[in-house]
Amino acid sequence: MKPRHFEEWLLNDTPLNEEQRRELQNHLRTCAACAALQESASALRAAPSVAPAAGFTRRFQIRLAAQRSAARRKNFWGLALFIVAGLSLTFWLAAPYLLLFAAAPAQWLSLLIGDALFLFTTLQTLAEVFSIFSKILRGVLSPAAWMTLLAALTGFSLLWAASLWQIRRAPQGVSL
Amino acid sequence: MNEELLWVQQAQQGKDEAFTKLVEAYQTPVFNLCYRMLGESALAEDAAQETFLRAYQHIRRYDPQRAFATWLLSIAAHHCIDALRRRKYPLFSLDAEDQDGNATELPDPRAPDPEQASVESQTHQRIRALLDELDPTDRAAVILRYWRDCSEVEIADTLQITVSAVKSRLHRSRRQLAQVWQTQDERFELERRTYEAPAF
Repeated sequence: MKPRHFEEWLLNDTPLNEEQRRELQNHLRTCAACAALQESASALRAAPSVAPAAGFTRRFQIRLAAQRSAARRKNFWGLALFIVAGLSLTFWLAAPYLLLFAAAPAQWLSLLIGDALFLFTTLQTLAEVFSIFSKILRGVLSPAAWMTLLAALTGFSLLWAASLWQIRRAPQGVSL
Repeated sequence: MNEELLWVQQAQQGKDEAFTKLVEAYQTPVFNLCYRMLGESALAEDAAQETFLRAYQHIRRYDPQRAFATWLLSIAAHHCIDALRRRKYPLFSLDAEDQDGNATELPDPRAPDPEQASVESQTHQRIRALLDELDPTDRAAVILRYWRDCSEVEIADTLQITVSAVKSRLHRSRRQLAQVWQTQDERFELERRTYEAPAF
């Protein structure tokens, strides 16, 4: 038998019968490379598992508590910074208007009421336009077309929800 | 339902006691993997703790169809591989381990049996030197194979590589380890002859 077969046996940890084991032992006496293959594997197998020092779980609990506390602190300061930054920005942007408002309040109040009325009438017009369009479409499209359109919309919504769900599912264990 | 699955489900519902049970059950395999990967007990402790913290944070993502040990060791292996790739950790060790496999310091010369301790330390350092020769992913594959007795499929699942890649990595590593082993043997033989040579 060629030495290549012995190497394959050793590399694959092939289960051997009595005859094959004898052949391998004879070969190992003369082949230093195969003997090193077997001895190195035996040394690895014989090495015991290393256990951590006592109190590992307790140290984990302490570390977890510290991490939680750090996360809480980080969240608190993050929120505080966000609020302060938001308020400062708002004040900075609103300051010129506030100063003007303080100088002539009656004029500003009438301007505000005018803007509100404009917004209200615009929205009302838009709603009317939408209702006219829907009446026209209802006349143009048959009930079957409406059903198809609704089914297609439902299908697209489901597809969208499924895609979001798939994206949310991260691969297990690797890059966390 | 087995106990482990119950602990996992309870941990997924946010019960810390259940996760603590999982830490107790898996601390040795996780620590051993980290220790064999990184070579020092302090670094291994840090990596093992980090592994459990990550597992705790992402326990809701764990799929019970997969073996919990594989998922956990996958986190540990990838953490250690990343650490080694960043060359954050040194690739040698002065640590040793006792008969039960607990990490200890190098043997004290004043210990009751310094010769035995020295032999153990020598074996340990030899294994350390063998593993240090390997690429981080190859090293993880060898550790899972020889210390966890994992199949090629389990190693592939843990390291997220194909079964054929595992096979070729294990073959390449075994050949590499054998070469280092042979070199070490030759060096030891040379040292022995030097010490045994008659003084003129």
